[in-house]
Amino acid sequence: MDYQTIEVTKLTPHIGAEIGGVDLSRPLGNQQFQEVHDALLENLVIFFRDQHLTHDQHKDFARRFGRLMVHPVKPRAAIDPEITPIHADENSTNVAGEDWHTDLSFSAVPPMGSILYVQELPPVGGDTLFASMYAAYDALSPAMKDFLSGLTAIHDGEARFRPIGLVPREGDRFAQTAHPIVRTHPLTGRKLVFVNQEFTTRIEGLSRNESDALLKMLFRHIETPELQCRFRWRQNSVAFWDNRCAQHHAIWDYFPQRRHGYRVTIEDDPARHRV
Amino acid sequence: MAYQTIEVTKLTPHIGAEIGGVDLSRPLGNQQFQEVHDALMENLVIFFRDQQLTHDQHKDFGRRFGNLVAHPASRHSPAGHPEILTIHADENSKHVAGEEWHSDVSCDATPPMGSILYLTEIPETGGDTLFASMYAAYDRLSQPMKAFLDGLTATHDGEPVYRGRFGYQPGEKGFPRAEHPVVRTHPVTGRKALFVNGNFTTGINGLTKPESDALLQMLCRHAETPEFQCRFRWQPNSVAFWDNRCVQHHAMWDYYPQRRHGYRVTIEGDKPF
Repeated sequence: MDYQTIEVTKLTPHIGAEIGGVDLSRPLGNQQFQEVHDALLENLVIFFRDQHLTHDQHKDFARRFGRLMVHPVKPRAAIDPEITPIHADENSTNVAGEDWHTDLSFSAVPPMGSILYVQELPPVGGDTLFASMYAAYDALSPAMKDFLSGLTAIHDGEARFRPIGLVPREGDRFAQTAHPIVRTHPLTGRKLVFVNQEFTTRIEGLSRNESDALLKMLFRHIETPELQCRFRWRQNSVAFWDNRCAQHHAIWDYFPQRRHGYRVTIEDDPARHRV
Repeated sequence: MAYQTIEVTKLTPHIGAEIGGVDLSRPLGNQQFQEVHDALMENLVIFFRDQQLTHDQHKDFGRRFGNLVAHPASRHSPAGHPEILTIHADENSKHVAGEEWHSDVSCDATPPMGSILYLTEIPETGGDTLFASMYAAYDRLSQPMKAFLDGLTATHDGEPVYRGRFGYQPGEKGFPRAEHPVVRTHPVTGRKALFVNGNFTTGINGLTKPESDALLQMLCRHAETPEFQCRFRWQPNSVAFWDNRCVQHHAMWDYYPQRRHGYRVTIEGDKPF
């Protein structure tokens, strides 16, 4: 794809590109916005270096892509509900996103994407892995593709969040939603695998043993290195992933060091959310 | 089913029955033969007690059900009886036949219809055999899984078993290897049965290796569900006759270093469909 207003440097053939020539603190012009959007759809996750963003600038950039989503986990401290702090230090007993996952896939309409801005990080460590669920689908056998295409799976926020002490911002329990295992991306039209080990608990219509065996196989399959890129953060880097077709995994290899940043989460447009 | 010439006592609802009123050393009359066959179809494996069989009588009984076949690993046959496989374990045994769940010789293009095992010596306790209904295994799969598996075939390979475990050398054509439907239809009852086993089935065709491994592991584990099984406790001179098309079995070797001895004949089967 030819870009006029940004520079796009791919990290791997399947997923990931670093974007140059953009200052996210300022409103993007229409063409630049369109090209950033194109680069996201083409590369599934895009990265920006050396950005200096206030919360408002962070949110303004995100709002170009959709409405902002209030994270369903009750925050530990009062903060802007559209901003999710991402923080780890010597007191952490877990960090966000330690397993391969799609953000908030248990929601009735899971997020379109997330934009993470990391301001502090250790000199080494704390990389994030991203994996293409298009490539995961493409690498299945034709027989398995056909089989999975007719099935739905349950995604449950309770199963993941409650045991680590997280409670819902509203209501008694986190949502539980059935989504197709093979999802079609609403914009690219490409098929992708939409189960993840953080939230997907079972395949509907199968016995427990059948479901466990298939999910285990799929979770393992999704970890295939050929589907992945690995992003090495620097201070003030931004990662923007298309949550509909990318899974990610935050590596916590830097304990007890400190890593700190903020994430905004973008709603998917229900009118375009194809299930 | 009402039987006139034999007594049929079920061991479990799904599988296994002990048959009384039959002397296998003598030719069976037509009605008794028919009822023994019916009992086998109905119960998948049938058992007879206190039988006194010569090799010829054992083979004659087997031949009522089809041609006899020599086992591919039949170096252990009594002299002059290549159709008989000696089953033996004692203090020198490093392995015994059928220690894992399996269908007999499913690596063959036409796996056996059934086998008739006659044990003359057994330890006081131990050496039971487990049998499992592959009809029940199929029936208990979910509808989507049934539909998926119905269209698939699997490879059954004799080499890992016969070379790896028993040290046999291949014949001229190499070790037997065949492709069979994952779900086969029993040619007599018309019922569907799961037809993969942990011993011989190496892969499901058309799937990637991780996909195939995951499914085979799940299916072989599923086939071991206790609800599909019966457990037969042998006595000296008991006979077990299993329908190899819809049954898996597992010979328990919990009696080392004691001695267990007997003979098996194997009845020719047809190509699974």
